[in-house]
Amino acid sequence: MATEASRLRERPQLRGRKTRHGAASAADPIAGMMPGPLRPPVNPGLKRAELLAMHRHLLLNRLVEEKLSALYRQGQIVGGLYSSLGQEAISVGSAFALRPDDLLAPMIRNIGSLLVRGVSPRDLFLQFLARYDAPTHGKDGTLHFGNVEKKSLIGPISHLGTLIPVMTGAAMAARMRGEDRVALTYIGDGGTSTGYFHEGLNQAAVLKLPLILIVENNGYAYSTPTARQFAVESLAERGPAYGCAGESVDGTDILAVYAATLRAVERGRRGEGPTVLECRAMRMRGHAEHDDMRYVPKRLLEAWRGRDPIGRFEAFLIEEGHAVRAELRSAAAALAPELERAAAEALASPLPPPEEALKGVYWEPGYERPWWPSA
Amino acid sequence: MKGAPKLRTAPRALAAVPDAGPRPTPSDADLLRMFHEMKLTRALEDRIERKLYRQGKITGGVYVGRGQEAISVGAAMHIRRTGEEDRDDIVSPSHRDMAVFLMQGIPMERILAQYMGRRTGLTRGRDGNMHMGDMRHRVVAFISHLGDSIPVAAGCALTFKMRGTDQVSFCFFGEGAASRGDWHEGVNFAAVQKLPVIFICNNNGYAYSTPAAQQMAVAHLSDRARGYGIAGSSHDGNDILEVYDAVGGAVARARAGGGPTLLEFVTFRMTGHSAHDDAGYVPKRLFEEWARKDPILRLGALLEERGLVDAAAVRELDERLESEVSQAVAWAERQPYPDPAECLEGVTKE
Repeated sequence: MATEASRLRERPQLRGRKTRHGAASAADPIAGMMPGPLRPPVNPGLKRAELLAMHRHLLLNRLVEEKLSALYRQGQIVGGLYSSLGQEAISVGSAFALRPDDLLAPMIRNIGSLLVRGVSPRDLFLQFLARYDAPTHGKDGTLHFGNVEKKSLIGPISHLGTLIPVMTGAAMAARMRGEDRVALTYIGDGGTSTGYFHEGLNQAAVLKLPLILIVENNGYAYSTPTARQFAVESLAERGPAYGCAGESVDGTDILAVYAATLRAVERGRRGEGPTVLECRAMRMRGHAEHDDMRYVPKRLLEAWRGRDPIGRFEAFLIEEGHAVRAELRSAAAALAPELERAAAEALASPLPPPEEALKGVYWEPGYERPWWPSA
Repeated sequence: MKGAPKLRTAPRALAAVPDAGPRPTPSDADLLRMFHEMKLTRALEDRIERKLYRQGKITGGVYVGRGQEAISVGAAMHIRRTGEEDRDDIVSPSHRDMAVFLMQGIPMERILAQYMGRRTGLTRGRDGNMHMGDMRHRVVAFISHLGDSIPVAAGCALTFKMRGTDQVSFCFFGEGAASRGDWHEGVNFAAVQKLPVIFICNNNGYAYSTPAAQQMAVAHLSDRARGYGIAGSSHDGNDILEVYDAVGGAVARARAGGGPTLLEFVTFRMTGHSAHDDAGYVPKRLFEEWARKDPILRLGALLEERGLVDAAAVRELDERLESEVSQAVAWAERQPYPDPAECLEGVTKE
């Protein structure tokens, strides 16, 4: 009836762009988690220097996490450690598509996004080692820090999903101020089942806010496989279900992630509302360092091992003539001592004085000390 | 009843709801029963909202479903009531589904006693509102926090699935509640577990004063179904045959193990959010437009056309219902208030 049509808003014409994946069946519950068809990466027009910068950040992401993992095993890390092994292209590729003033809220597996935004490895080590000079002055041993004023960076909230309404609010604030900044945050496949996901995304869709929601579908929410998390083939379906754009890409292809994020950013700046961007990858380690992930079938990890995002990108760089193998190897070799030095400095720096334990838990004028940039 | 839009007289095949299985067609007796239940609901709610509330005889707030009766009645026709615990369906009504309480067999007298805060109300005078249920009648008490009944209804359906019965959980809510996180968590869980639950949304245009277009960016709430991987469709909520047909299809799917269905029934709230709200924010023409689509008028026109009722029979029915309501009110008014000494009893399960 015409009256209903006029009362309710007209149906948006955004269609989800979908990557087909094997559907899960009772016979093979992990079929839907296997990698999709392998497509060669396509350069969306990036210059050699930009490509090499991406490569450098991918390497940094991995090497910082390898060092953190070693420190964890030495008992030096105070909190938990959540690896992004196999998912680095999602953090780095998406962060590269943003302007420095775009609002960025990483989650626990997005060290890559922080590195792209300019957080130094030294700051990361200080933070995980809970040192006094760390962004939280030793009050947190993971990534719960941000700097909205200087770096448009909003810290993660432990309770998965809650960052989405926060970033909806950030996007709304930007629009009310007449700025053309977009807001980007991440959520895992598990976090999409929380009510906050629903409330935040729905409000962003209703208000047509420039929110980019990267759904890192890495197969498991702790030990819960995606077949027990949602009943759709691709989480990109959630986009049109809220009246916004939805897209699904191979999260091990950094160029695909970059290009899709850029499309979402452009839609956001044009005032076309939010995008749900599903990036498919596999969590190649446990939920955290303390988890041996014995619940993940070996053949699933085997299938994804050939999809290493760094290996794939290096093959692309060599094949397209942007670099030779030796150059890429020496880039990695050059980073290692730099990181060792940063880690050593962090280890040598003091722990916070106990008498400050209660300071700065809430905002206190005069207590907040500038930590940015540290090096 | 002239000028009321005609109802389709035969159920329509719904492309949007595949594999629903055979769906029942209402018999003449069913049609007459639906007419009676809608009329009774309207008579009772009119009495509560327009008389008792204004006389100061109601203790709490009053939320009625005027204009939306076809949804509760058409859907509740499919709720299986046998008296056997492993056969009976279960229902979580919203605050605009008075018909569901009546059709599940809760006496009108006790509902009135509830609204008047009397000791014989369903909550023994502890609530003067719709927050009532009775598991003997398979009615889960309405939860004030909108959206919270969705995971509860999904949990009921999970019980049925675990017990291996073919019972179905009916869950009613408005389009405003569908923006709540609890709603999402419940619907997604039901989708993943393929639970026998039917999500019935009365999209009545306004969530208190928020119009539906500011509530969601999709044209219809059933567009959400694709995001969960479940069946979903939208219908004219003022056409009781369409409601009956759509819910019948969803029930067939649920009983056959086909999982949940999200049904949206587009209707209009022909009143304020509650008795204290004058709905000044709703354009007058919408009330006029929707008054012409009144579900009772439309079913009445069909019944007349089929020769099942005539004007005299309708008048007689109205008078009988008025007197039934009056008798129930008289009974409720004679009921005692709860004893202050027992006010802490039964607040939590004892």
